[in-house]
Amino acid sequence: MILAHLRTFPTLFRISVASLVAYRAEMVIWILSTTLPLVMLALWNAVTADGPVAGFDQNGMTRYFVCTLIVRQLTGAWILWELNYDIRSGALSQKLLKPIHPLWYAALTMVGAMPFRMLVQTPLLLAVVLWRPEAWRTPSLAEVSLFVVSVALAWLLSYLSQAFFGSLAFFMDRSMGLWSVWFALWMLFSGYIAPLGVFPAWTATALKWSPFNALLGVPVQILGGFTTPHDAVPLVLAQLAWVVVAWVLVAFTWRRGLQSYGAVGA
Amino acid sequence: MIKVDALTKVYRVPQKEPGFWGSVKSLYAREYKDVRAVDGVTFQVEAGERVGFLGPNGAGKTTTLKMLTGLLHPTSGTCTVGGWKPQERNPDFLRAITLVMGQKQQLMWDLPCSESFLLNRALYDLDKKPFEETLAELTELLDLKPFLDTPVRNLSLGQRMRAELAAALLHRPKVLFLDEPTIGMDVEVQAVLRKFVLDYNARTGATILLTSHDMADVGAIAKRILLIDQGVVRFDGSLEELAKRFGAGRRMVVRGPATVLTPMGFTSGDEGKMVATVAAERVNGLLSEVLQALPNCEVSIADPPLEDVLRTAFGDLRPKAPAEAAP
Repeated sequence: MILAHLRTFPTLFRISVASLVAYRAEMVIWILSTTLPLVMLALWNAVTADGPVAGFDQNGMTRYFVCTLIVRQLTGAWILWELNYDIRSGALSQKLLKPIHPLWYAALTMVGAMPFRMLVQTPLLLAVVLWRPEAWRTPSLAEVSLFVVSVALAWLLSYLSQAFFGSLAFFMDRSMGLWSVWFALWMLFSGYIAPLGVFPAWTATALKWSPFNALLGVPVQILGGFTTPHDAVPLVLAQLAWVVVAWVLVAFTWRRGLQSYGAVGA
Repeated sequence: MIKVDALTKVYRVPQKEPGFWGSVKSLYAREYKDVRAVDGVTFQVEAGERVGFLGPNGAGKTTTLKMLTGLLHPTSGTCTVGGWKPQERNPDFLRAITLVMGQKQQLMWDLPCSESFLLNRALYDLDKKPFEETLAELTELLDLKPFLDTPVRNLSLGQRMRAELAAALLHRPKVLFLDEPTIGMDVEVQAVLRKFVLDYNARTGATILLTSHDMADVGAIAKRILLIDQGVVRFDGSLEELAKRFGAGRRMVVRGPATVLTPMGFTSGDEGKMVATVAAERVNGLLSEVLQALPNCEVSIADPPLEDVLRTAFGDLRPKAPAEAAP
């Protein structure tokens, strides 16, 4: 079944690019709106001008937030909004009639959109590299390999967590409210607005194993060289564990959700 | 092909009293009401049949169709389509059916319909050659060529509906569920669609289950009628049987002076014609009476319009005690 789904990927990729091009202006604005790490970089750059904070000097902060921006782009998903709308409006019915699981279909479409997202970000990334060339380092082969695995798991966890909150719309009218709470916690605890090192030591240790770090922090730390591959392996395994938890949760809510789906208006 | 046995669907609908206090109360003590949309429906449809599934608004037609296509899970009872349980959503089952809903669309709004067709080819895992053959056939029959590469948002409703129909049939389904397929279409496109559905049935032997409020759709497509009202099947038979059972009689239309025809039981109809509804056994008697009085007059005799038959049927079949309406 998985092979049959993967055979659809080239077409979905092409359709995904065609859709992005049809909405090109909106998409560019939306992608650029996820560049908060660059704003945070400007802020932390000023803070670290007088000396390192939590072990990060200006070069370290630059590398950290650029890696954050890259990982954010590579782990982008928007299944939450799609599912929420589709369930509440009944538009899910058309997708349920197709011989491919709607969550597979959406996942393949979103992976297809990734190269376009990176393309839009490339000029920004180049500008930062030119601004502070001394901040960069070449990652080792081990780091790159581990990063690929880690970023794939982070994307999967991001997608599944959105699918979980999105499928709560089967049961409640205001599932987006719960997502807002989750998103606020993610902003704070994933390392998106500050490295986890700025938290008190016990909090940072606890957050290291949290789903928030698995969603963003782990691949950032690997790519930026803020941890050794040896120390990162347990963190990648923790990512895998969170993916399994999220998968089980999604499978459960989806199955129960379909039983109570009203297919309104469709 | 389709087997439905004691199929029942009960919706749990939240209730809220109006006003501010109603909102406050629903915060801590929400009440629900069970609404029985389909109530023990039983029927069978053989392969290749064309069945009109009719009933007034809220009768349970669309709910039944949604259960037959796997969108809704039945509360109790069973249904199978081609041997599959629809709610299990087996990919082979989904490849064997299609659901055309007049008001809903599957085409991608901002892309040309040709892109949606290619997407369906990928989703249904169709081989290139049969896909291209089917697409060429549908393009010709539905006259899609002039707008294949135009974004869907720029198509007229009629063009869009033709493209929707093509998208729904590209995988050559064996069972077609048509839910108000001609709603919003102009007369010309309606005729194209009806002819196409009949032709598709004749060529492929596909089974067709149609719901429509447009009696022209029903008259043109359906050979057999299932009447459903308040969630219960109240009639199952051919169109002729339906007319015989619920038609008050045959309809005689005469062009002639009212002074002569009114005493015979005629009333004024459209375009100066006089109309009488006559029991089948009285048709010959009345006809000779009319021809004796007006030897050169224009007379036509026909079955009563399907709308009238159905109005009578729903009136006669509905039980006296009021019951819940479906949402």
